[in-house]
Amino acid sequence: MDWQALGLSLKLAGLTLLILLPLGIWVGRMLAYSNFSGKSFIEALIVLPLVLPPTVLGYYLLVSLGGASGLGSWLKEVLGIQLSFSFMGLLVASMIFNIPFIVQPTQRAFDNVPKQLIDAGAVSGLSAWQTFLYIELPLVWPGVLSAAVLTFVHTLGEFGVVLMMGGNIPGETKTIAISIYDRVQAFDFESADRMSLLLLLLSLSAVAVSFFAAAKIMRKPKR
Amino acid sequence: MSNASLIFNIHQSLPMKLECAANCDAGDLLAIVGTSGAGKTSVLRVLAGLMKPESGRIQVGNEVWFDSQEHIFVPARDRHVGMVFQNYALMPHLDAIHNVALSLMHLPKHERLIKAQQWLNHVQLSSDQQVRHPHQLSGGQQQRVAIARALAREPKLLLLDEPFSAVDQMTRQDLYQLMIDMRKSLGIPIVLVTHDLREASLMADQLVVMDDGVVLQAGSPGIIHGSPRNARVADLLGIQNRFQGEWLGPSSTPGYGSLRWIGMSSTDAQPDGPILTVRDKGKIKAGQQVNWVIPGDGIELWHSENLNAAQFQATVIQAQDLGEITMAKLSCSDLPGYIVNVTMTGKKRGRIKEGESLPIFLDQNLIHVMPFKY
Repeated sequence: MDWQALGLSLKLAGLTLLILLPLGIWVGRMLAYSNFSGKSFIEALIVLPLVLPPTVLGYYLLVSLGGASGLGSWLKEVLGIQLSFSFMGLLVASMIFNIPFIVQPTQRAFDNVPKQLIDAGAVSGLSAWQTFLYIELPLVWPGVLSAAVLTFVHTLGEFGVVLMMGGNIPGETKTIAISIYDRVQAFDFESADRMSLLLLLLSLSAVAVSFFAAAKIMRKPKR
Repeated sequence: MSNASLIFNIHQSLPMKLECAANCDAGDLLAIVGTSGAGKTSVLRVLAGLMKPESGRIQVGNEVWFDSQEHIFVPARDRHVGMVFQNYALMPHLDAIHNVALSLMHLPKHERLIKAQQWLNHVQLSSDQQVRHPHQLSGGQQQRVAIARALAREPKLLLLDEPFSAVDQMTRQDLYQLMIDMRKSLGIPIVLVTHDLREASLMADQLVVMDDGVVLQAGSPGIIHGSPRNARVADLLGIQNRFQGEWLGPSSTPGYGSLRWIGMSSTDAQPDGPILTVRDKGKIKAGQQVNWVIPGDGIELWHSENLNAAQFQATVIQAQDLGEITMAKLSCSDLPGYIVNVTMTGKKRGRIKEGESLPIFLDQNLIHVMPFKY
């Protein structure tokens, strides 16, 4: 069992979620509530990482953010940040490929909030922030929770983008998915088995928790 | 007008036409009536501050909430409006007390809950019901929570959007009583939107009849019922007895004119239809085609002591018993198209039988003549 790889994967998934969640809620809410020209284009752009092969996405990230690119060399020279083959680069890539997983369920959840409830909040004297906190958030949380779980689990298991952008540096970019691949290449099926099973159980329990929580909130107590 | 009255005029052409102006005194109830899509809910949303019209002015007491010329627009949250939404708009994740407490966010939490409880007691919701979520309450109970939430805001204007449409008849009677009791004690203008004219007439001091985003007629329920401005208003009010006629000009009695009653369709037209002597307001030219209406109060069967009533012999062609009322159709003078609808209550209705021939009396003083539109 490659504990270091597991720790790195959990750190990557946790940080991705921490940064992406507030951002995803904001974008999902904005897309659900507003109508503007170019909205469909933005929605299509958000879905793109979902349909693009991970290696293609990883490749483009590498060439656009790597040291040889304009942006990559600027980041390195001015801020001293190197994105290719580093944990930071992995984090950026991970955030980009998880955008649809966080934004889409969140947008759908906000879409389902009855407009009349928002109006009732405004008429009751609630500020926009109070309306969000006391009306919207309690109603959208099953959607937000499933978005968070999807993002976390997806990051934990992502392989193609991670390999392209981060390579295979132990402690820096070698995640558990890459470690499994590594072990299989070395015919160490026992380790690969254990790590795969752990990943399977982690993913399964995360999905189960999100479904259970959503079902619980949707279930109405009998009169 | 008192110093807490509502005075408004709103104008809008897009996305839908909206033209409405009215006043409502404190303690009075103004009912906006119309079919769905008439623009009545939009007027309510504009008054609440949930929608901004192109131009106009809204003033409650000394406060101006909207003035397009002065570029004033007070948002909904600052207007102190109590609004009861159609289907109530209660928060499904909050119990009744916390729903009401939403209107009291300016108070400390403890005080908020006590006050919310007081408002729920006021609308007669038991303490057991107060801790239930909306889906655990009946339609009538949800309605009471919505009213309590609206009142807890200590509103300067109360808006009711089809508030009784989703409750059964029995609950509705209780809620009417609740509203009637609260009306005067609140001492604020109340605007009610409804498609149910009976409901509007029961509670309102003033009616505004809307169609296609514009006001067709405004006034007291009695005046609008007695003298609808045109055939469309008569239809919207559900006036059963609307007929066509020809205005023959002034009669020999001063202040009265002669009206020839014509059957509803051209095949029924009788060139020598009966002539009625009705009030003449001097607005219609002789020879003009007209619509005319007579309210239920102006129709009597069997006998009448009214000297102004026109008498016809009629045959009962249909009598339908609907619980406490009987609705009957009578064909006058045995002429096709001269059908009068009568709604009867009380013991007398038992006497009416299909096929029976009886005298019918139309009070000519209550006949209202309108220009022919369609």
